Amino acid sequence: MLSLIVLGFYPLIFIVLTALSESSLGRPFQEWVGTANLEAALGDDDVVASLLRNTIYAIFVSAASAVLGVATALALFRSARSGAVVRTLLLLPMITPPVVVGILWKLIFNPSGGLFNTVLSFFGYSGDPVSVLASPTFAFLGIAVADVWEWTPLIALLVFAALLGQDPELTEAAALDGAGGIRLFAQITLPAIAGTIAAAFLIRIVLAFKVFDLVYIMTAGGPGQSTTVPAYLIYQAALQQFDLGRAGTITLLLAVVVTVVTLPVVAITRRLHHD
Amino acid sequence: MIKRSSRLATVTVGVALLFTLLPLAYLLSVSLMKQGEISAGIVWPSNPEWGNWVDAAASRLPRGILNSVITSLGGAVLTLVIALPAAWAMVRYRTGGRTLAATILSPWLLPPIVAVVPLFTLLRVLGLNNTLAGLTIVYALANTAVAVWLLEGFVRKLPVELDEAAQLDGAGAFRVLGSIVVPLLTPGLVAVGVIVAVLNYNEFVLATFLTQGPEAQTVPVVLSLMLGERLQDFGKIAAASLIGVIPVFAAAVFLQRWLVAGLVSGSVK
Repeated sequence: MLSLIVLGFYPLIFIVLTALSESSLGRPFQEWVGTANLEAALGDDDVVASLLRNTIYAIFVSAASAVLGVATALALFRSARSGAVVRTLLLLPMITPPVVVGILWKLIFNPSGGLFNTVLSFFGYSGDPVSVLASPTFAFLGIAVADVWEWTPLIALLVFAALLGQDPELTEAAALDGAGGIRLFAQITLPAIAGTIAAAFLIRIVLAFKVFDLVYIMTAGGPGQSTTVPAYLIYQAALQQFDLGRAGTITLLLAVVVTVVTLPVVAITRRLHHD
Repeated sequence: MIKRSSRLATVTVGVALLFTLLPLAYLLSVSLMKQGEISAGIVWPSNPEWGNWVDAAASRLPRGILNSVITSLGGAVLTLVIALPAAWAMVRYRTGGRTLAATILSPWLLPPIVAVVPLFTLLRVLGLNNTLAGLTIVYALANTAVAVWLLEGFVRKLPVELDEAAQLDGAGAFRVLGSIVVPLLTPGLVAVGVIVAVLNYNEFVLATFLTQGPEAQTVPVVLSLMLGERLQDFGKIAAASLIGVIPVFAAAVFLQRWLVAGLVSGSVK
């Protein structure tokens, strides 16, 4: 109960109070300003753009992770050769510290001598070295690749476990009745694992909205604002500009956006689990 | 079930393995390169050298690993101590009904950066800023909700008759918890403990803003500081990253079964 208050409610109340007041890091709650912070944040293009950016990013990386994760899980399930060693190796990205993931992909995308450029030139590319993380267009894609690499194993693991948990008699009966290949998958396997896929997708979206370490390590929000996610704006507001009112307001806006985006997924997950 | 192996499946597993391991192999390769080789665009050094590993081992890294291990294990044990009675009460006595479980998990939806300022203020008041004790307490509380959520799945599978039998014999709630639930739940506790310890070990945001000196800085913080140095030594950073992940990778290899059981129990209930 104590932990609930300390970690759940204390920061929440703190955030709401700061959002409603003029607060600095040294002197919080100087003056109550009502909705002035909210109006300022909603009128700030950087804030609105970062919320939108993170939403698109979350949907994109979650979809990519879901497709790759389900494909890997199905392949693991159908391949007789994959033992415990292969499964452990496939899980490694998920337990690698995000800071190391960031360092790793920063080295790969390093314009001077990184693996990405070495591979490009191996395939005949001969122009200037490509600097993925310094490009306003591609920097976010670079972070997305690292993010997908890190979290696809989680989806693969959860879906794989659901595949193992299927009722084998059902599959056998369907196979005996002549269902095979795609039909067996679409009518028997997919319905059995759909609930798990939806739940894994939900977890994945939330993880994508929480991305901070990768941005901090790989691009520091740049170039320009092109990889600035709300979590990074909150960091800048609170710990660089010492404007807690602004940080609290962006936090509340982010909470609203995460809720709105995840609600349909939550509804789908519930329905699939109750069938 | 007749398990048919398909060629497509084997190829897909192969591609997944390649995509998973290639970046890690490249990290190893860079850690064995000399400064000039890193910018030369080669895949593997012609003369692998361990100099970067020696440099990394002579830095603040070993202290960081010690700090990480202390805070992640200490935090995990404290988390279990808090989370087990909570999960048990929520399953057996329906404490808080359906809403409590969802409510305590809701802060997990937000990036941890939002908790930094309030926690910083709190630790300063308690005099625990920049200490291992402070960071351990923060970790213990930060993962309690996730641990409750994961443990619920394990507690649900325990037969309720055992509790009832013990109660009929006159055991109180805490006695039942200590002598019946804990021994039966050991696999679940280990599984959730491993997950929470790994989460703690990998945590960066809270560690970097709640610690200011080498006596409390953890592995991710030490690595980010190396990246922030004016002359970035990529070879040393790569070596330090690999040394830093050894504890979690070792945990994954030796405790894989529990790690998997814990993750699966949370999502499939």
